[in-house]
Amino acid sequence: MSVAGLALHPFSTPKTLDEALALLAERSARAEKTVLLAGGTDWFVERHVAPAEEAGVLPLVVDVSRLDALRGIAVEGETLHIGAAATYLEIRKDARVAARCPLLAATARDVGALQIQARGTLGGNLASGSPAADGVAALAALDATLLLRSIRGARRVPLAGFYTGYRRSVLAADELIEAIEIALPPEGSPFAWRKVGTRQAQAISKVAFAGLAVVASGRLARLGLGMASVAPTVALLPATRALGLSKPLGEVTDADVEQAVLADVSPIDDVRSTAAYRRHVAVRLAQRFFGELRAL
Amino acid sequence: MSMETNITLTVNGSVVTLEAPPAARLLDVLRERLGLTGTKEGCGEGECGACTVLLDGVPVNACLVAFGQCDGREVTTVEGLGSTAHLTPLQEAMVTEGGAQCGICTPGMLLSAEALLREEPRPTEPQIREAIAGNICRCTGYQRIVNAVNEAARRREARS
Amino acid sequence: MAPSIGTSVPRVDGPAKVCGSARYVDDLVLPGMLHGATVRSDVPRGRLLGVDLDPAFDWTGITVVTADDVPVNAVPLIESDQPVLARDEIRHAYEPVALLACEDRLRLAQALRHVTLRVEPLPPVLTIDDALAAREAIRGADNVIKRYRITKGRGGAAVEGCEVVVRGVYETGWQEHVYIEPNGMIGWWDGDTARVEGSLQCPYYVQKGIKGVFGLPDDGVDVTQAVTGGGFGGKEEYPTLVALHALLLAKKSGRPVKLVYGRQEDVEASTKRHPSRVEIASGCDRDGTLRAVSIRVLFDGGAYVTLTPVVLSRGALHACGAYRWEDVTVEAVAVATNTPPNGAFRGFGAPQTIWAIERHLDRVARTLGTDPVALKRKNLLRLGDTTATGQTLKESVGVEECVEKAMAASGYVEKRERGPVVTGRTARGVGAAIFLHGAGFTGSGEKYLKGKVAVDLLPGGRARVRTGSTDIGQGTETVFRQIAADGLGIGVENVDFAVPSTANVPDSGPTVASRTVMVVGSIVDAAAKELRARLEAEEKARGATRSAAWERLAADPARATSLVQYEPPPGVVWDDATYSGDAYPAYGWACDVAEVEVDLDTFETKVTGFWAAVDVGRVINPTLCAGQVEGGTLQAIGWALTEKLVTKDGKILNPRMTNYIVPTSLDAPPFTTTLVEAAYSRGPGGAKGVGELPMDGGAPAVAAAIEHATGLVLDRVPMLPEDLFEASVKGGAR
Ligand SMILES: Cc1cc2nc3c(=O)[nH]c(=O)nc-3n(C[C@H](O)[C@H](O)[C@H](O)COP(=O)(O)OP(=O)(O)OC[C@H]3O[C@@H](n4cnc5c(N)ncnc54)[C@H](O)[C@@H]3O)c2cc1C
Ligand code: FES
Ligand code: FES
Repeated sequence: MSVAGLALHPFSTPKTLDEALALLAERSARAEKTVLLAGGTDWFVERHVAPAEEAGVLPLVVDVSRLDALRGIAVEGETLHIGAAATYLEIRKDARVAARCPLLAATARDVGALQIQARGTLGGNLASGSPAADGVAALAALDATLLLRSIRGARRVPLAGFYTGYRRSVLAADELIEAIEIALPPEGSPFAWRKVGTRQAQAISKVAFAGLAVVASGRLARLGLGMASVAPTVALLPATRALGLSKPLGEVTDADVEQAVLADVSPIDDVRSTAAYRRHVAVRLAQRFFGELRAL
Repeated sequence: MSMETNITLTVNGSVVTLEAPPAARLLDVLRERLGLTGTKEGCGEGECGACTVLLDGVPVNACLVAFGQCDGREVTTVEGLGSTAHLTPLQEAMVTEGGAQCGICTPGMLLSAEALLREEPRPTEPQIREAIAGNICRCTGYQRIVNAVNEAARRREARS
Repeated sequence: MAPSIGTSVPRVDGPAKVCGSARYVDDLVLPGMLHGATVRSDVPRGRLLGVDLDPAFDWTGITVVTADDVPVNAVPLIESDQPVLARDEIRHAYEPVALLACEDRLRLAQALRHVTLRVEPLPPVLTIDDALAAREAIRGADNVIKRYRITKGRGGAAVEGCEVVVRGVYETGWQEHVYIEPNGMIGWWDGDTARVEGSLQCPYYVQKGIKGVFGLPDDGVDVTQAVTGGGFGGKEEYPTLVALHALLLAKKSGRPVKLVYGRQEDVEASTKRHPSRVEIASGCDRDGTLRAVSIRVLFDGGAYVTLTPVVLSRGALHACGAYRWEDVTVEAVAVATNTPPNGAFRGFGAPQTIWAIERHLDRVARTLGTDPVALKRKNLLRLGDTTATGQTLKESVGVEECVEKAMAASGYVEKRERGPVVTGRTARGVGAAIFLHGAGFTGSGEKYLKGKVAVDLLPGGRARVRTGSTDIGQGTETVFRQIAADGLGIGVENVDFAVPSTANVPDSGPTVASRTVMVVGSIVDAAAKELRARLEAEEKARGATRSAAWERLAADPARATSLVQYEPPPGVVWDDATYSGDAYPAYGWACDVAEVEVDLDTFETKVTGFWAAVDVGRVINPTLCAGQVEGGTLQAIGWALTEKLVTKDGKILNPRMTNYIVPTSLDAPPFTTTLVEAAYSRGPGGAKGVGELPMDGGAPAVAAAIEHATGLVLDRVPMLPEDLFEASVKGGAR
């Protein structure tokens, strides 16, 4: 209903990143609200379910979806650099991502369906901060670093330090997410991506599990884990990571994994699933990954 | 920063300049300003795919795209495929194979399928199913839509 | 002229649909048109004390309608218990209370926020058990909407004397139609004539509603169907309310008003499939010969009667399944609750009871240690057998052939013998369901309906079918053309189909109950054949050519049209008082086989193959017919696996397509559909109905396959992964 009110939103299409940052700075200084619009796949849905707006207090919509500075995908040395406004479709089609970061390609392919992938972005996924965010779960497992920028300058925040609570993050009012940086694992590193959603496509995760490991002589040299929909924010599963890194893989039992995962997650009952089911699936998916690693 | 802006884009091959609110949904501008009512609204939330159009050749949900984001771009709606007198092989196959029943999902379905066939002239069944997974059809059970896309691929190949 | 019946004539409305030029209600714009919206209650039960308009809001240009503006405030249906707009009583959480219209949609949406309802909440009745307990009486003293009792032989008491007695309880939840086009109507007044155009299945239902509420004569109302984006029963009775609302706003504002629901409003307020609980006790011999059954059917009707008595009737009449029983009792009860009224949905009560009986026979087979299909096959109804209502089956029973074909196509027997296939953490299994569905109205329904159809000869060798039966995607327009073409001996391209509008098509009865092809189609056939006889007589009398005769008749208004009324076949006898006799003139029969893959860690079920063999009598159009089977089956699979309406305190928590989950193309199995043709002598060319039948078998077939794959026994739909998980915790799965 309230989509009728969209016509009232002021709108701006900055040509450059600097222009966008200046706009953000100006408005936040005046305590005026701004919405960065990337793929719109979260924002338009939010507008659609919101009650009708009264005129006069609407935030400025700033289209960042075509800012060159936010768009590219590049490999620099051993770092994969993904612009915050690169779409899932661009990510899943990118040959370098497919070769060097197949986990992310698999995740991108599991987001919504093609139309959503064609518009949705990691920047939007991160900024929305849904605990069910698939992209964020993958980035968690990849231990990604976020490049945040404002007119005041840039800063790098590890994903582990980005969220401060349910849909809350350290992103300042005048700041945007410019890019995501991923330290690339060696080619062929084992990974897991398993989304348990409400259906096979167009699904929000009941539980999604992302895992990435670097194995050297029976031990884990690197272990990244991320899980969606099991906690107020996407979970990084610190206890489970610590378990995996603590001893030779052969000594990590299913019981150990169960205990660690249960310590890491705190799921709830909601319209999509139950806490008990989510706990069970969380444990099983983690056990499967450890099983696969042991079998290498 | 004004609420009505002149935006120039190509719609079904013709360049149009339109003064319209840039934050409005592409869906509403197509239907209400341009009279292109072939694009349907089934949910308004990106779920059903009835509003699928091609933006620079890529299927998107017109209910989730701001009109202002289309400046300088190319939009294809169902009206940009064939006409009733000259159906494209895809449209024709959709009719003969029984891929359209009530027809409300059909325009969006056709555009998803069209994008697939442009990229992959001989798609496999899993590819077809993946390409239309964002288009919900409550009538057909999908089998006949999949058959239609297959058949369209065959007819397109035979024509070229 | 080669006959058109039996060939896959491409659907006639196809080209407009694939070009985007087919006009659905939301595509229509009338000059001066306003947009309408509905103000709804927020609590499931209460006393309405007042409707307040915020004095601080600017109401200029906004039309407001309340119960005070409604001439006769009752929607005429089986009972007239549902108000058009609530006046003092709130009976469900989405009860319409007031209506607003405005030219500007944003102002309209804003205005909605400035209407406050003053309501004193009352304790609601929300479940079947609440209703039966009758601590709160919301209908009569016992909350019962309707009861039926069917008995045969010695009745259900005979169960106790049987060698093997098995008991079970089977449940189903709500199902929402999710037609992709939500409900919508445009209403306007042409002087004293009320006109509406919109998304609907049954123009004459809407007409009846408008006549009753506004006190208008037949010709004071014109209802036209716009191209309709799916119905499945959901646009059977509900659109009447939408039409009335649009007309009320139009009357008060003096402008045309378009009232189109958003998805969320549609899911919340419109009708849904009745939730059910079915308790069965059955007795059989040790060798598996079924003897006696006692069945209690409980349906949740929701807040108003709507079509519940008829839905319950069909549920009761299908409760014994496709099987022979000597002694039967079926006790069926529908109760009222403070939830949105439940109504027509493809299958109309039968899916609930077929689910129960199929699951129950699976349980009997488990008890006996035999394969369910072997057990069911042994007890199938055959020609000459009598059903629970004492109906002797005299013709058109193709069920045995359906079972054979489905078994052969799916490899069921070998797959069952091999046992479930477990690969890693995935288990694969197959399951089957066998079922019937009565075609046409129940019992004496058709006698009262008196459905009519007109066929006209038009100049230029063309003909036209005029009928109130609508095309909602299932292909009426095409199939009726085929029937008329063959009746007249002309090509199908020479037959037109009049836009269904009560001003110029006769009342053919509603587009429901799988009756369109079999019942209405048979009068299309009769009308066409009558015209053909006239043409032949004219040829003979004047020694003219066929085309000369045609033009002469077409030019003569007294002879150009044949209007035929349906006559129920002689010998069909039904007694409403004892609920016995010939429940339906004919039955469709089917066997479904589902193959599933279950992830043993996540309990996700994927249907990987589906084989349906259906006896629909003579097939008029194989492509359209198979499309009905597949579409209906996928709705059944959705109901079985994902479609769960979550409610709390009478409110729906998931009224959106992101959380009410219908299947996508990746959730749908590949379908293999076999059409079996056991002709029915009174159907056009031998055809029976197909619309609803496929909705009945999908869920029990999937449940049986899950059981085969995992050993988990589920007796409630939907069967979500969470439910399988819970069952495994209780029962211990593989
Ligand atoms: C049908 C459907 C299916 C979906 N399926 C999935 C799914 O499977 N998995 C999943 O995780 N999500 C899913 N989503 C949610 C959504 O698509 C994703 O979260 C997506 O990544 C959002 O990106 P966007 O660019 O569209 O965000 P937008 O809607 O453009 O923006 C979302 C929010 O992020 C802010 N923002 C955007 N870019 C930046 C930036 N660079 N810097 C700072 N803030 C920014 C915006 O201001 C806004 O508040 C689905 C959504 C829909 C409608
Ligand atoms: S209307 Fe856009 S996806 Fe449903
Ligand atoms: S044909 Fe009706 S929704 Fe697809």
